[in-house]
Amino acid sequence: MTMAVSTKEEALYLPRLAELIKVEQLTEREKLFEFAFKDGGELGHQPGQFVEVSLFGIGEAPISISSSPTKKGSFELAVRRIGNVTTALHQLVKGAAVGIRGPFGRGFPIEPLKGKDLLFVCGGIGLFPLRSLINYVLDNRNSFNKIIILFGARNPKERVFVDDLARWAAREDVQFMETVDVGDETWAGHVGVITTLFPDFEIDPGKTMAFIVGPPVMYRFAIAEAKKKQLPDEQIIISLERKMKCGVGKCGHCQINGAYACQDGPVFTYAEVKNLREAL
Amino acid sequence: MKPKVAFFDFTGCEGCQLEAINFEQELLDIISAVDIVNFREAMTERSDDYDIAFIDGAISTERDIARIKEIRGRAKILVPIGACACIGGINCLKNFYSMDEALKIVYGDDAKYYDTIPARPIDAVVPVEHYVRGCPMTQSEFLKVVKALLQGKRPDIPNYPVCVECKMAGNVCVFEKGETCLGPVTRAGCGALCVSNGRICWGCRGLVDNPNADSEKEILKKHGLSVEQVLSRFRMFDGYSEVAK
Amino acid sequence: MHSQVIAKQELAAFVENLLRQGEVVGVRRKDGKYVFDKIGSPGELCLDYDVTVLSPKEYFLPQREAFLKFELAEAIKAEPITQAQRRIILGVHPYDIKAIQLMDAVFSKDNPDPNYFRKREAATIIGVDCLNPSPHAFCASVGTATAESGFDLLLTDIGAEYVVAIGSAKGEELLQKHAKTRDASDGDLSKGKTARDEAARKYQLSAPVSLDQIPRLLEENYDHPLWEELAQKCLSCGSCTMVCPTCVCFDVQEDVALTLTTGERYRQWDSCLLEDFAKVATGENFRQHRSTRLRHRYFRKGKYMMERFGIQGCVGCGRCITACLAEIASPVDTYSRLKGGS
Repeated sequence: MTMAVSTKEEALYLPRLAELIKVEQLTEREKLFEFAFKDGGELGHQPGQFVEVSLFGIGEAPISISSSPTKKGSFELAVRRIGNVTTALHQLVKGAAVGIRGPFGRGFPIEPLKGKDLLFVCGGIGLFPLRSLINYVLDNRNSFNKIIILFGARNPKERVFVDDLARWAAREDVQFMETVDVGDETWAGHVGVITTLFPDFEIDPGKTMAFIVGPPVMYRFAIAEAKKKQLPDEQIIISLERKMKCGVGKCGHCQINGAYACQDGPVFTYAEVKNLREAL
Repeated sequence: MKPKVAFFDFTGCEGCQLEAINFEQELLDIISAVDIVNFREAMTERSDDYDIAFIDGAISTERDIARIKEIRGRAKILVPIGACACIGGINCLKNFYSMDEALKIVYGDDAKYYDTIPARPIDAVVPVEHYVRGCPMTQSEFLKVVKALLQGKRPDIPNYPVCVECKMAGNVCVFEKGETCLGPVTRAGCGALCVSNGRICWGCRGLVDNPNADSEKEILKKHGLSVEQVLSRFRMFDGYSEVAK
Repeated sequence: MHSQVIAKQELAAFVENLLRQGEVVGVRRKDGKYVFDKIGSPGELCLDYDVTVLSPKEYFLPQREAFLKFELAEAIKAEPITQAQRRIILGVHPYDIKAIQLMDAVFSKDNPDPNYFRKREAATIIGVDCLNPSPHAFCASVGTATAESGFDLLLTDIGAEYVVAIGSAKGEELLQKHAKTRDASDGDLSKGKTARDEAARKYQLSAPVSLDQIPRLLEENYDHPLWEELAQKCLSCGSCTMVCPTCVCFDVQEDVALTLTTGERYRQWDSCLLEDFAKVATGENFRQHRSTRLRHRYFRKGKYMMERFGIQGCVGCGRCITACLAEIASPVDTYSRLKGGS
């Protein structure tokens, strides 16, 4: 076997050190972390890609990237506190160092979206990866046609990125709709699961691309609604969560039938996952 | 600040506490990482102010129940160590007798001076945070749990059978050698210590979360064990669990 | 590729010379079976074995392998660990050679894995044709009873001598430097071929369908009740995958010193049969049921690896058949059942 191992390959599992430059509490369980690489470099990601975040001594976890590539000098990760790594991450304060590998995986398509109508269906923290794309699109607003954003949370307390939501709602060039599954005394808006928003808007299925990201249970229902609006399978785009250890197509954990979520995904078209019976 | 650690013993041979004392290389590091404030087997000082309580032994009297509840009330983190504390262990062999009969067998004419209840693991009485399994407790797992507690993380304890570690060790399967074992349903973490040293797995680390015990029982029968022998295998350490009944 | 011939007593001298070069791993007896292990003298070697308990994959993907070390002082420092021990692996059967070729494909695709390739480059593979197949092997029916590449040298027992096929410049140099050989004649080569042909007839099992039909057979039977039937017996013990020469999935974990000032990250063999393999931190388990995990193994071997890497995922060594106490891991039986046989 004569396959020379280059310096780049030598570093396949070596994280780059990044400094935590800002922390923002999003909800009781979720925080937004802004990182800058200590070497001054950019992450250089596509919306929809993920990184492996190392807390040395604790472990590594795959986290989707929430900032737009148009944001330079730093990047943002929104994280729910759930396992060892994310719990430790939540305890970090400004100035702390973490390791970052990536960006990994196939992100959302960008070029094919130009001139198209875009529909974003964000269920809860499904907004974490979609925010990257939404803000990218809004930073390049002239390249895209009509934009519809739907956001659904379980209850008003679980709404994430409320400043972004308010900004999108205020824009004339965005149709923004929001709902919560269960309201409370603070909530005057729409109540019902995210699919109950679908009767309230029209799309042109010939030129619309739909992006659906949310909890596993949401996909079937949201995709069915998109299909009712005559959207072709190729124009429905989703992002799938799986266990990922290596992030580089070796460890086998993220396999969805024959596909590797960390290489072939995490972003897939509905046309692709229809043939992957473990996907949804 | 260093966490305050206490060790307490209930029904058992106290061998797991001995394992804790028997660390050679790591003992100094352990002592510098935590303050041991209560450890009858190792020191004379006693304190009721502790963060982490390691519990050796099973619960087998009413007094035990009251005592473990008191310890639970004081400790922030409670960790049973060893088979007796984690799963009931060999103490539960007596659960297959009436308590009167068990007392008579053990204490004869003096039975009237003692009381006893069916033996049970610690978590049958009070909630626990983590486990250090094995008979005696697996030392490397004890270190893993201590380190995880120091780091504030959940320790990564295997939820797969001993077969995984046994195969990794390159052992010839005991079934191929004409013997039988409980490795296929027993929680790994011991590195298949017994099989690697020419013995069989008796299941001292308890079962994995979802053991296919029915299949294991069929396999044991196919390899020559009677129904009674199969059950007595499970009762050796796992008498408290449903699979032994 | 040209061949040499080495007399059996000369092979012992060759091995002695190799031992002076560095670590030699060979096949030796253990508890009535065979294992790959470090050897200290030629006398320990078995070259006429049927199959080893584990394949030599551990020399490329160790059971546990630290790949990153770090210091957690004021400033965090992390560096990769990729060094590899130079090693000669002697007595590898053709099916295990094919399995290594599959590992090469897995670990090179998209992102070459430095830890794997450091070990791969540091290894010299001396194969030996399998003339006494295990009763559970079905190599002849899946094209893995012989190998034309993937080795540095390959021995074939022709009685008092071995034919030595040369598979690489490294193998040729090793032979020239350390062994007394002669050029193989047509007669020698034909003796070698006869030995292999005879061995091919000794296989007691054979795959019921040809390799190229397996992906379709599986796909058509994705929802076959057989998966659930086998799952009733499956122990989810992972034995079939641990002994498999082409199973390369790994878990990643972290270990720190008690002082919490240094630590390492390591990978460790994992198995898609184990309950937590596809379970994420939120508790969602993408293969919660035994039947889905068991089916995944068959699909990975029979279909997914072929589609992704262009190489079959099962080399027919039969180790899984031997290892499975529930007697449900046999690709031969399972393909037969799916095909509508017994």
